[in-house]
Parts: sequence; C-alpha cells; structure tokens
Amino acid sequence: MAAETGIIAIGAGIAIGSAALATAWAQKTIGAAAVGAAAENEKMFGKGLIYMVLPETIVLFGLVIAFLLWTKM
Amino acid sequence: MFKPQEMTRTLIIGAKQDLEKTIELLHTLEVVHIIDFKPSDADEPLHLGVPTKKASGVSQSLVKIRSSVQMLALEREKQTISEKISEEQIQRDVALKIQDMELSVLSLTETKTRIEEHFRKIDERIRQLQPFVAMDIPLEDYQGYDHVTVFTGYVRDLKKLTDHLPKITDDYEFFTSEADDQMIALFIIKKYAEDAGKLLNECGFTEVKLPEGTGIPKQFIEKWVAQKQELSMKLLQTTKDMLEFRKRYAEFILASEEYLTIQVQKAEAPVLFGTTEHSFLIDCWIPKHEKNHVLETLEKDMQGALYIQEIEPKHDDEPPTLLKNPRPVRRFEYLLELYSLPNYRDIDPSFILSLIFPLFFGLMIGDIGYGILLILFGVLFMKLFKDSEGFSNIGWYIIIAGVFSSIFGLFLFGDMFGLPFLPPPGGTGEAAYSWSTLLGVHIPIPSVIHKMESLGMTQLLVISIIVGYLHLGLGLLLGIIVERKHNWKHAVTKIGLLFVLTALALLIFVMADWTIGQWLKPLKGSAVAPFLWGAFIPLVKSGFSFGGLIVPYVTMVLAILGIVIIGIVAGGFGLVEVLEVTSHLMSYTRLAAICVAKAAMAFAFNMIGLGLILSGNIIIGILGVILLIFMQLMVFALGALSSGIQAVRLHYVEFFMKFYKGEGLRFNPFGYKRKYTTTE
Repeated sequence: MAAETGIIAIGAGIAIGSAALATAWAQKTIGAAAVGAAAENEKMFGKGLIYMVLPETIVLFGLVIAFLLWTKM
Repeated sequence: MFKPQEMTRTLIIGAKQDLEKTIELLHTLEVVHIIDFKPSDADEPLHLGVPTKKASGVSQSLVKIRSSVQMLALEREKQTISEKISEEQIQRDVALKIQDMELSVLSLTETKTRIEEHFRKIDERIRQLQPFVAMDIPLEDYQGYDHVTVFTGYVRDLKKLTDHLPKITDDYEFFTSEADDQMIALFIIKKYAEDAGKLLNECGFTEVKLPEGTGIPKQFIEKWVAQKQELSMKLLQTTKDMLEFRKRYAEFILASEEYLTIQVQKAEAPVLFGTTEHSFLIDCWIPKHEKNHVLETLEKDMQGALYIQEIEPKHDDEPPTLLKNPRPVRRFEYLLELYSLPNYRDIDPSFILSLIFPLFFGLMIGDIGYGILLILFGVLFMKLFKDSEGFSNIGWYIIIAGVFSSIFGLFLFGDMFGLPFLPPPGGTGEAAYSWSTLLGVHIPIPSVIHKMESLGMTQLLVISIIVGYLHLGLGLLLGIIVERKHNWKHAVTKIGLLFVLTALALLIFVMADWTIGQWLKPLKGSAVAPFLWGAFIPLVKSGFSFGGLIVPYVTMVLAILGIVIIGIVAGGFGLVEVLEVTSHLMSYTRLAAICVAKAAMAFAFNMIGLGLILSGNIIIGILGVILLIFMQLMVFALGALSSGIQAVRLHYVEFFMKFYKGEGLRFNPFGYKRKYTTTE
C-alpha cells in the first residue's frame, strides 16, 4: 500500500512539475517578445500581458491532475 | 454606465467671415469632437482649410517661448503657480516681454556656453601636459633638432627598454618621470631612430604627442589651475543669475506658453475643416446630452448665421468613445484602457471590473493580516504617486482588494498572516499553531474553509469552478447582447457555447457532489427543499457510468445541443471555441491554486519562524522574529503581485474575449484644459 501511495505521489509531482516547465518554456519566449513590443509602443502592454499569460493554463491542467491523484492517495 | 456616451454627428456650415468667431465659440464649449476633413472627389467643391493669418505669428512666438523653456531648463511639472493670469493681461504684454526675455536668455546662455567652452579647453590642455610635468624639461627642448629624434610616451616594459637600448647605441639621453615611471622621453641620434623605434614597439610603447608652446610644464599647469578657479567662480555666478531669472519669469513663461498654444490651436483649426471660397464646413461628433446646449449657444451667439444639421450616422462611422461612470468606478477605466479603450458599440465593462477584479484579488489573498497590509500599502501608494494617474489608480485597486481580502480572511478562511485563529482540527505539533494557542486567548473566529487541508482544497476548487462558470456565463450573455444587432451568427454561436459551458460545469458539480451536498445541507427543510431534492438533484444526477465516471443525461443533452448549434451556425471552425471555453473554465482553478500556494508558503515560514521564537533561547528567538518578519513580507509581496496579475488576466483573457472588442477612438473635444491662464 505504501509503495502504491509513493508511486501516486511521484505521478502527481511529475504532472505538476512537467506542466510548470512547459509553461515556463512557453512564457520565456512570449515574455521577451512582449516586453520588447511594450517598450516600443506602450499600447501593446495589455495585449502583451494577454499573450504572456496564455500558457499559464497549461500549468493549471497539471495542477488539476496532480490534485485528482492526490485525493486517491 | 454600461455604454459609452451616445454621440450625434453634426454638420456646422457658415460663411468665412464667421469662421474665427465660430472657432472661438467651439473652443470655449469644449464638447465638440471635430472629424478631420479628408478631401475626396465626391466633395469636389470642398477643399482643405488653411490656417488663419495669425497662425505664423503666434507659432513663432511659441517657438521662442519653448526655446527659452529649454535654455532655462524649466521643468513644467515642478512649477507651481500662485495665481492664474488673465488672458487679457498676457495678450497685452506678451510681445514686448518675449522680446525682452529672449535677449536676456540669449546673453545669459551665451555667457554660460563661453565659460564652459573655455573651461573645457583648459582641461584639455592640462590633460595633454600632465605626462610631461614630472620630467621638468622645458617644452621647447623637446623639438627643433637636426640630428636628434625625440620619442615621448608610455612604455609597458621599461626594464627591457633600459636593458636593450645600450645595444643599439650609447648616443642617447633617456628620461623617465619619477612619479609615473612608465612615461619616458628618449633623445636619440637620428640614424638610430629606426632601430630604437622597433625596440620601443616591442616594449609596448604608446606615443604621447607633445603639446604646443614653450616653457616649463609645471608652471603652465599652475597658471591654468588658477584660471580654472576664476572661471568656475564666474560660472557659478552665471548659473545663479539664470536661476534667478528663471524664478522671476517662470510664471510668465508657463502662462504665455499656454496662451500661445491655445492661440495656435485656434489659428490652425481650419486645417480640420472643409472649405470653399466663401464658406466652411465642420463635421463633428457631439455627446447627445450636450447637443441642445451646443446648438443653443451657437444659435444665440452667432445670431443664426450658421446652418447646423444633424446627420444620420453611417454604418461604418466610428464615433469617438467617451465613458460615463460614477467616480469610484472611473478609476477602473484606467485598468480597462490598459487593455484597450472600448469602441463606441462595446459594452463598457468598467463597472463589472470594479466589482469583480478586487473580489478575485481579495479571494486569492484571503487573509485579514495581508488584507490590512494591502490597505496600508495602497494608501501609501496613492500618497507617494498622487501626481501619476496610473499609479494612484493602482493604489486604489490595492485598497479595495485589501478590503475584500480582509472580509474573506475574517469570515471564510479565519486566518491572519497565514495562521488560523483557531487550531485546525486534528493538527498536532507545529501544524497545530494558531493565534488562540499562541496568545493564550480564545479568539472565536472559525475557519469555514481550511486552505491547507484536502477538504478545503476541494472546496476551493469547486468554488473556483462556480465563480468561473458565473463569470464566463456573464461574459457570454454580454456577448450575445452585443452581437445580436451586428452579427446574429456570432450571437447564436455564443448561445451554443453557453450550453456547452453549462454542461461542463454540471459535469464537474456532479463529480464534486459530496462537497456541494455539504453546502446545500442547511437548505433542507426550507421551501425550496422539495424542488431541490425531489426534482432538480435527481434529474441532474441521473446518468450513465463511463469508466467509473457518472455522465449525467442533462449534461449530454446540453453538450450535444450546444455543439450542434455551433456546428450549424459557425461550421467546423466554431468547434475550436468549444475547446477554448473548456480551457477557460479550467483556467479559473488558478483562484484556488494561488490561494493555497500562498497559504502553504506562509504556513511553512510560520513553522520555521515560530519554531525559532518558541525555542526558549533569547538570541535565537530575536533572530526568529526578524526572519519571520522578512519571510512574511516576502509572502505578502509575492502573493499581492501574483494575485493582482492573475485577477487582471482572468478579466483580460477569459472574460473580455467573450464580448469585448476595444480599440475605440478617444473622445477628444476641441478646446484646452487651462492650468495657468484664465479668461475671466
């Protein structure tokens, strides 16, 4: 039973961890471009922020899966 | 409140002799947004207007004033004015005073530049001569030989030079400066110069050019330093004079700048109009509620000389946007405009933003301690940046978010600085810390939801989904309202999306039926109970089992209905929106995620800090207090930042995408906001 719980915990960790990495990877590129655009034209700030935060949904998927796993522990 | 001000398009036509008076009137009214006239073939007899005769004169004066502002380094924002100056007075003395001032400013600036130039020259000479000072050889002795070549400069490897030089010849004189042993002067017979040059190169030689002039360098420098001192006294005096002058003239400069700017604005206004040889035409937008006032004023003051006609707006017209909101809501227009100004046909979401944005912000922080800190921080922010519109607005958002955060902290989560008021049930050891146990006083504020427990987390997730469903549903409803007039296909697609969204939400609620069941318990025995438990809940819950998951029939029906509607109206491409709405609903789980993440961070820090404080050792205790304060501030800063950004995001991305288009044209009335002058 303990081993099973451990494996579930590792699974939850992988789910949130890899999703967070993916988000970070996506945001890195978008963020750099958005800051560049906003520096040239302040009106781009709002749009830039939107593009910047779009990938955050990925990490939330990871979070939900991790949570569903956690409740099974 | 939910729509920008209604505008009417109006044409004002008159004879050229009335042009200036009309401009004058419109300028004082300050409610008319003039549409830039663009000549086209259709308007054959009309061509672009030209500035009035006054234009070039006032423009020139304005240029002079602005150059004085520049030369005197006058900072407009920092100047305060004791009293507004009347326009009449400025008009009387502006020409003469500008002339006077221009001469004085020019002579002062010239003196200053001359002194600075002189100063720079001396500095340059000193810099050139400095390397030769220590060698104490008169400058004329370095030059004018027929058979001797002189090298002066820096050497990197002095030892190599002194070792190898005798191998070339003994006929040389060699000086190094005592103070700076790398500077050398080498006097050598011309025929050995080439070999010596090679050697010098190997030793890393950099030539220093001999400055012009004669005499002992040291004496020169002494003389120049004295001159410099004298000059800096003069410079100080001139700068003082300039400051004095600036102080004396600042008010006049600012007032006349404003006066002249207004004059130029009026003189160049005809460029916006269409004109014929004897008449002019002004095409403009007037806010509907101001229309009568404008028309009456024009009619009365011009004694009926103008022909004014309201025209039916065309389909592709773009009326300017002027938002109309009560004062507290107006501050949120800034947050909206950071995304994009609403266009004329948009719904103005400022009011919704002003309610829900701080609510989300507060919910994510949900702690009375951080809430009070937020309020204090917001007040400080507004005080510090009261001159900047943007920052003071942000301060206001922080204050309201702090209020919501305190309310949630007090009534829902029952915690302060991440520590509950009552010990959590079943907590042992460090996990059982609470304000009641720490202070030894029973504080009867229960935690309705424990952020750090599995049950609390589930409850928060369900709350997030409910909030998301309501928020997105509102967005879709607004979208349907906006689109029903412009594009019925979009409106119907949004109805389909609403079905899908409802199906998704119901599916999740059935999955979390135990949690929701707990919340519904208090309703048992009330009037709605028979309906809820007799009809509604069994209907929603009845479904088929799919891989251990119960899929309710209602959900299936709603989802299929929605997808079919979207498929028919918008085609296969519309189905992408089904996926989008799904991910948007999931996106609201960030409310729970940040709430719990912040609480977990605070919990961990509290355990570390309180552990140290309660250790019994005084020094460790004091360290613990410092560490805990530092860590708490970090949680606060990180929490406030991420909550704020996520609350903004949920509006900009999830909410606005359902109905908001933006990219409006700002209502820009012809006129001027006077700061330094008055017409009275």
